[in-house]
Formats: sequence, structure tokens, C-alpha cells
Amino acid sequence: MVKIKGTNKYKISFLLNQTKVEVIVKASAILLDVLREDLNLTGTKPGCNEGECGACTVLINGAAVNSCLYLAVNADGKEITTIEGLVNNESELDPIQNTLIENGAVQCGFCTSGMVMSIKSLQNYYISKNKSAKTKIAPTNQEIKKWLEGNLCRCTGYVKIIEAAEKLLTEKV
Amino acid sequence: MNFNIEIPHSIDELVLTLNKFKNKNYRIGAGCTDLLMELKNNSASNLTIINISQVDDFNFNNVKLSNGNVDIGANTTAFKICENENILENYKTLHEAALNLASAQIRQVATIGGNICTASPSGDLICALMALKAQLYIKNSLGENREISILDFYKGVRKTDLKHGEFLSHLSLNSNNKNAFKTKSGFIKIGTRKSMECSVVSLAYHIQIDKKGNIIETGLAFGASAPIVKYATRACDFLIGKKIDSLSKTEIDTFAKLVVEYASPIDDIRATAWYRKQVLFNISKSILEKNIEK
Repeated sequence: MVKIKGTNKYKISFLLNQTKVEVIVKASAILLDVLREDLNLTGTKPGCNEGECGACTVLINGAAVNSCLYLAVNADGKEITTIEGLVNNESELDPIQNTLIENGAVQCGFCTSGMVMSIKSLQNYYISKNKSAKTKIAPTNQEIKKWLEGNLCRCTGYVKIIEAAEKLLTEKV
Repeated sequence: MNFNIEIPHSIDELVLTLNKFKNKNYRIGAGCTDLLMELKNNSASNLTIINISQVDDFNFNNVKLSNGNVDIGANTTAFKICENENILENYKTLHEAALNLASAQIRQVATIGGNICTASPSGDLICALMALKAQLYIKNSLGENREISILDFYKGVRKTDLKHGEFLSHLSLNSNNKNAFKTKSGFIKIGTRKSMECSVVSLAYHIQIDKKGNIIETGLAFGASAPIVKYATRACDFLIGKKIDSLSKTEIDTFAKLVVEYASPIDDIRATAWYRKQVLFNISKSILEKNIEK
């Protein structure tokens, strides 16, 4: 990270969806705004802008974080994954996205990208936990609910989302 | 929202930065989850955020065992506290408070030092740390150290004993009493929703019991029912020496009344003062009515 002389700005660089990016940001810039306004990745949604709804969830070094309450300068040197980063080179959706679609867990879609990123972080957490475990374990229904507590959905009533996450995480951790 | 930022990368750099800014308008930010919300609503002019999240220091960022005690660096995230097996095993009240803090996303970045120094009357981690009588370690802009019990740290709503130019470096939890055979330790949070909710009332308790079932040490604190998180000394003292399994209904009621004596809640958008006192009374009783865990 380099401070731009005579300004209140910094040049930061980070790995965004596996590609190195450099961007100049104000000291007070919020990661959500940088992703959407400077880097044109509008899949990350601004909802409440106060860390309540989880629509802005992205992965920072594999873990879910609210990008609306994250200083952009703190992204320097980190690995950031947004919903756009889950699509592979063949433009296939991530299994999480497919499972949500198959289970009717998407309605208006505004919460979906944040919801997917939170499920992804739970998947990452269990994959890493299982690496050192003798027997593979998957999160329980209660653990999934707890993990998704910071993602609000005003359409689905959560049931389909939880069912989809449970189905996916039983198989893919 | 507009502010300058300083980003120290070590404790020494942090001390130097504080020295440089000690007479200026600054705030210290770690996870910044509370601070950014505050600044989004009320942006101050000429403000510098001393962003400590990139301080690369193991003791500042982690939980470690130290001569039988547990030291927790101020920059330790709530997530790391949830994951720490020693805390889960020996200080369940802190584990549960951390697990009930905000949401999974916030716990990834919010720090224990942030929760302590924000000094919210409903601070979840504060409540548990008071029940555990944590000792706080503070450093100033000259690199000098001092320590203070968390029980003496709070001076009013969002006011602490932390002076300009000082920062919290870590806190220490005493090991449980060597005669403790069982502990009854937990955290109860009452709110309108389980997650992302500022408590209507919260209660942290850590009761140590010897082999014969006698209560030998007690810590109990509650939040959201007074200008600061309160430690209920007389209620704790009342339990010492009593047998946990044979407390009478009258004794349990007396204990709960002694807890409520420390409450001075207000009516606000979340609950009325009457409701808060009633809930505090009921949850205080409930901890003695439950079977002993662990």
C-alpha cells in the first residue's frame, strides 16, 4: 500500500477473484463502494449499509465479511472473492448457486449473492476443518442457521435457503 | 464520511503514532464495525482514524496461555474467541457471549478490544469479561504500561478510564480456582431477535463449585439495564459457601433481588425499564434453577 503524496488517498493492491488488481482509494473509502463503483462488480449488493442485512457479504481470505463495514485500505494484500468470482472459466455457476436454484431458494434475488457468499464461507470453514479430522463432518441444520444469521431475506422465509445449504453442505465439505 | 487514516504495523509504530497524534482529534479503530457506523451517522471534521487492524503482533492478535492464565490480545476477533478451545472449556460465559455477538460476518472482524473500549451499556463481551473479573493492560504513547480491573474501567455511558494517548494492549483471565470441580458458566441474551440484536437484557455468570458442591467463587454481570455493564457484588457474595444443589426457593429469590438492586434501566425503543428489571430478575433465578452443566 502506498500513500499518494499530498492527498488523502492510497494505492492498494489485492487479489480480486484470483486476479491482482490495483486501485486508488480515499482513506475513508468502504470496500463495498470500491467494488461496485471503481471495479464495476455490482453483484455485491448494498442493502442496509450498516452490517445488518448481509447483502454486501464478500469473502476476505475465505471468510464472510460485510463489505459495507470494511475499510477498503484493509483489503490491501488480501484475497477478496465476490459473487462474480464463483463462476469458473467455463462460465459455470458454483454448485451453491445451482443448489439454490434447484431448491427454489431464490425469489427477488437481492439477498442471494450475500447468502451464497455466506454459504461459501461455511463450506470453506468445514473443508478446512475436515482436513485435519479423522472422519468428515458436515454442519448441522442449527449450525447453518447460526452461520446465516447475518443474512436477511424478505421473500423466501429462509426455509428453502436452509434446505439448499443443508443439501449441498452434506455432500460437499 | 471523510477522515484521514494512520496505519501502524507494529506495537512500536502504534505507540509512535499515538505520540504524534496525542493532541489531535483521533479515534482508534480495529474491526471498525461500530466506529464506521458512528462516523457514517456523524462525520467529524479533521478526524484521523488510527487503524490498528494491521498491527502484526502475535500477542496483540491472539489468545495464549500465560502461566496458567489466559491472555487475550486486544485485536483478537470475536471469531477467534469462539474458536478457542481453552475458552470454550474454562470460560464458557465468554465463549457464549462471543458466539452471540452480532453475526458471523461481524465476528470475523470485530475485536474484543473494540467491544471493551466502545463501552456500550449492552456490550456482550464486556458482560462476560466482568463476570470473569478480567484484568486489562493499557499502554500509553510513551510506551508505559498500567493495569486496571475491568470492574473499575467504566465511568459512564460509553466512557472509560482510557486516557487520551492510551490504548488497550491485552487482557488477562485468571485460571479457575484449583479447588473448582465444576463450573456453571454461561451467557444469557434477551432481545427481540437472536442475531444482530442489541440486548434488552444480558447476563453473564461464572460460578465455581468444589467437590462437595459448595460455591467457592462467583462472578455475575449484566448489561443493558444501567448506564454501564454492572457487576453484582452483593449477589455474588451471597452465594459463596452455599451448596449449589440445595438452594431454597427463598435463597434463589433473594439472590435475584440482590442482582436487580444494581439495575437502573431506562424506557427506550427496545423495552421499558419495568420489563428489563422483571426479565433480569427471572433470568438471574433461572441460572440457579438449571441443572449444573459441565
